[in-house]
Parts: sequence; structure tokens; C-alpha cells
Amino acid sequence: MKILIIGASAAGTAAIESIRRYDQESSIVQLSDERHQLYSRCLLSYYLSDSIPREGLQYRDPGFHSQMRVELHEGTRAVHLDTDRQCVTCDDGSVHEFDKLLIATGSLAKFPAYIPQGMEGVNVLRTLDDVEMIRTNVRRARRAVVLGGGLIGMKAAVALNECGLVTSVVVRSSRVLSQMIDQEASHFVTERLGASSIEVFFKTDITEVESRGNTLEAVRTDSGQRIPCELLVVAKGVQPNTDLIADTDIRKRWGIETNAHMQTSRENIYAAGDVAETFDITTGRHAVSALWTCAVQQGHLAGLNMIGRGKAYDGAVLMNSLSIGGIPLISYGVTNPPEGEGYQVITREQGRAGVYKKIVLKEHRIRGIILLGRIDNAGVLLSLIQRREDVSSFEDRLVSDQFGYGTLVGSVGAPDLARYHNP
Amino acid sequence: MKRVICRMDRCLGCRACELACAVEHSESRTLVTAVREAVKPRARIRVEAVDGGLHRTLALQCRQCEEPVCAQACISGGIRRDERTGDVLMDPGRCVACWSCIMVCPFGAIMRHEGLHRAVKCDHCPGRDIPACVEACPTGALVFVEFTAVTPHGLTEQRPHSQAERSDRIV
Repeated sequence: MKILIIGASAAGTAAIESIRRYDQESSIVQLSDERHQLYSRCLLSYYLSDSIPREGLQYRDPGFHSQMRVELHEGTRAVHLDTDRQCVTCDDGSVHEFDKLLIATGSLAKFPAYIPQGMEGVNVLRTLDDVEMIRTNVRRARRAVVLGGGLIGMKAAVALNECGLVTSVVVRSSRVLSQMIDQEASHFVTERLGASSIEVFFKTDITEVESRGNTLEAVRTDSGQRIPCELLVVAKGVQPNTDLIADTDIRKRWGIETNAHMQTSRENIYAAGDVAETFDITTGRHAVSALWTCAVQQGHLAGLNMIGRGKAYDGAVLMNSLSIGGIPLISYGVTNPPEGEGYQVITREQGRAGVYKKIVLKEHRIRGIILLGRIDNAGVLLSLIQRREDVSSFEDRLVSDQFGYGTLVGSVGAPDLARYHNP
Repeated sequence: MKRVICRMDRCLGCRACELACAVEHSESRTLVTAVREAVKPRARIRVEAVDGGLHRTLALQCRQCEEPVCAQACISGGIRRDERTGDVLMDPGRCVACWSCIMVCPFGAIMRHEGLHRAVKCDHCPGRDIPACVEACPTGALVFVEFTAVTPHGLTEQRPHSQAERSDRIV
């Protein structure tokens, strides 16, 4: 069988690993529009602040592709997909036929129209090339502005601050990480940012970018402020990179639609990772998760399904983990439940100890979690979301520090044990 | 493949396993000096209350999963499974303390080591024939045994049954 994988990050790599675990026969061709050895996007902010060396970005052995017997084409962009003849044409003119195709083209950083692209000092933080550019700019910069208060924005701001730059964050919302956590947790994060002298401008947007020649000098905001800076990192989120399916009949909404087997509307074509739209367990709707952990899981399942070892995806759970000023923070699913839709919330706050826990429930099932300060056993709570477990018999113990796998053994038996031992 | 198993009917919750584990993973590997080390040693095993009370307890550490979700989630490729021993191993040099592994482990078996600022988990005590926790267990609740498969009811309350069944019904 001829397997073609487009994209060489989390989902594409995970697919290769699960295919090769069971299938040594099929040929695997992988296309990547980047030119770097397999690297971890999540580590880019660590490399930006020099917390890890460049080699530390490689999350698999340098010989990964030859070990896995994958024919990797780097610096090659897939530009056309013929779904009937089952082949993909690349920008270098090469044509690759396939029996099974995995689209793992990831996402693209959103870039507001009012910010000029290609200006020196203006960057996004998405690829290794982006980070190399930021690192070059950091050397001649004193002040940096980050546009966007999401996870990437926060990680960029913390890293630039660690580089010794005076760093400001411009956030349109009234708080940071508004998609990921609630008001209380946001407040805590903002305090921590303040403690490391990162200034945050809320309910503010950049309206204009000032430059001398083609070099950034300052940004102007809608609140009338002028913030001088030599570096601007745009972190306004990402959008699925669906260009390849534009002139095909493969169905998409925001991302490419997939079923529980990571299959698109075309039988032999699969999608996984940031480009794919999947079922979301906590909301019951289909959405693009755009998260590393979800991409790995989806790529893994896509790989298995492509070689006929059919396994169904339970669905995604949005999850994020972050350390802010040394304080760990993990969140899952619905953390800001809408009013009047039957959600129930349990919280525990120990202000002095810097601990905040929140569990969001609906119909006795966990739909969302925030753990701040104390994250032990986080994954046990996640497993309750994934199994849609009725938690009513131990609901009162969910936010306790004593809650753990033992609690489940006493209440619902020994879940997951067999599943993880004999997959 | 050998794994540490806890026979719940024998676990008293004395936490001798936690102490032995922390000492084994300390610099000096001796209790008297371990407690005075600059970086406070941390156990990779945890005694947990079953049913909320302390009447029944369970000592739990990494289950050395066949398909470890922690390894899948690790953003730096620092967790891998040794196909020969079946042990799930962490490369401390690769850990960036992002806590993704803690975020996904369904057993809560990965811990945050605040002193070392990285994640830690059970490593079956390299260099020892029998892990320190097993050796320290005064009631024989913890055993290190060859293990091939777990029954779906692998970790449940001990009920009276035959010896043969018994070996199957333990964690």
C-alpha cells in the first residue's frame, strides 16, 4: 500500500509511528514545506528564551525517518490534490500517488490586515523559521509588544521578558487566556505577569504600526497610546491550513470534517491535527482543537485506521498546561460555562497557598476543569471526562487534594487499567 | 515484563513505600542524610485512600502502560517505552517542566518535583533487583511480579476466592 502524509509535525509523526508499529510493508512518503529536522512546536518559546538549545527542539532521534523507512521530502509544498486519480502535485512539479492520504497540514497564524507583513521587527510565533527571525530581532531590540492574550501570546511574552526585553501585551478581551480559563484564574495569571514586570493593556487593540523605512518603531492603540517597540509578535490565534482541499469536494466547515476514524468525506483521505475538525467530548459539538496533545492522538488514530486497524476516536478534550512564574496551571474543556444551560460548578480556593480548583459539571458528568497551583492527579480527572463517568457518588471529593485514582477504585472500580495494559 | 502490584487487602497505608522510594531517589540514598539534602527527595509512589477514608488504602505508582499516553503527550520526546523491559522511562535532561504528562496520566502517577523543577515517575529502581518500595513493604502488599495481562477487574476489592484467582485480582 502507498501511504502519503502531508505535514511533518505532531499528527504526521504520530501517524508514522503507529503505522510502523504494525505495518512494515507499506511505503510511506511524507511531504513537509519546512526544511528542518522534526522539531516540537511547543518548545519554540523555550528556545526563544534560551531555556533549551536548538538541538533540544528535536523530539525524536535524528535518524527517525530512516528508522521508520519514510521517504521525506523537505521544503516541498503540496499544491494540488486530485481526489479521483488519488495523487498530489507539489510546487516543485513532483506528483505523488497514494492509496491512503493523511492531510496533516496544521494551521497558519492569523495576521490582521492592518499590520503590514514583511516589516522588519514584526513576527508571528509558529515555525522554527519564525523563532529564528524573532531571535535575530531580539538582539537589536529593547522593547517588545505581544498582540494577543492567548496561550501563544502568554508564552511569547514570558519568553521575551526572560530575554531581557521590556515587554507589553495588548489584549482585546478584558482578561488573558479567556478561552482557556475563568476570571479568577486569569486574574491570578495577570498578577504573576505584573510581578515579572510584563505590562498588560486590556480591551485594547493595535490600530497602526509605525516604522522608519521598513523597520518597526512603535505601535499605536485604539486607546490613543503609542508604545515604542522594536519587536512585535502577533499572536492572534491560528486557522486551519485547508488550502489543499480548496478545489476538491472534501467537506469542511472551519477545519476539514472528520469522522471517528479520522476519515474525511473521501474514503481514502484522512485528516488529523490542527487542520481537522473532530467531535469535542465536553461541548458535544465538532471543533478544531489546534493542540499538540490532540494532534498526536488524532495522528496516532489516523495511522491505525489507515492500515485497517480500526480504532474509534472518543473525541477531543481541549486541554492546556502552562507554568506561570513557577506556578502550574492546567485546564480542560468548558471552563466558562454559559448561564442557564444546566451547568453546575464546584470551586475551592486557598488564596494564601495559591491554589484554585474548579470543576464544571453537567448531568453529573465533568465538562471542564481548572487546576491552579496543585495539579497532582490532573489526568485522573481527565479520564473521568473522557469516559463520561457519572461522578455523583464522589462529587464532593473532586476538588480535594486527596482525590486520586484510589477514590475511583473505591467508587467505580479500576477504570483504564486493563485498557492501558492491553490496548 | 515485571510490574509492581499492590495487594489492597494487605495494604495498611503505613507509607513505608513512600519513604523508601524517596530515599532511593535521593542523592545519598540513606535516610539519615537524605532528609537533610538541599533538594528534598520525593517519592514516586503514593498511598491513596480508597473510599475517602483511611480504612482501605492503596499504594500506586506508574503502571508502565503498554501504550503510554504520557509518552504521546510529552512535547520534548522525553518519555519512551523500553520494548525489552516494558518500562516507561523518562529522560530527565529533556523535561522542560510543561506538565503535559501530568495532564494526561489516567493514574495520576507522574509527580511534579518542585526541587528539581521537572516531572518524575517510578523507574523500577534501576540497579536493584527488587524496587525499594517492594522491599520496604512490611506486610507484603507490594510485590514485583512477572505480568502479562490484567483482567478487566484487575484492581478491585479482595473478596474471598481461590489462590489462583487471587493472583489475578491484584493491581
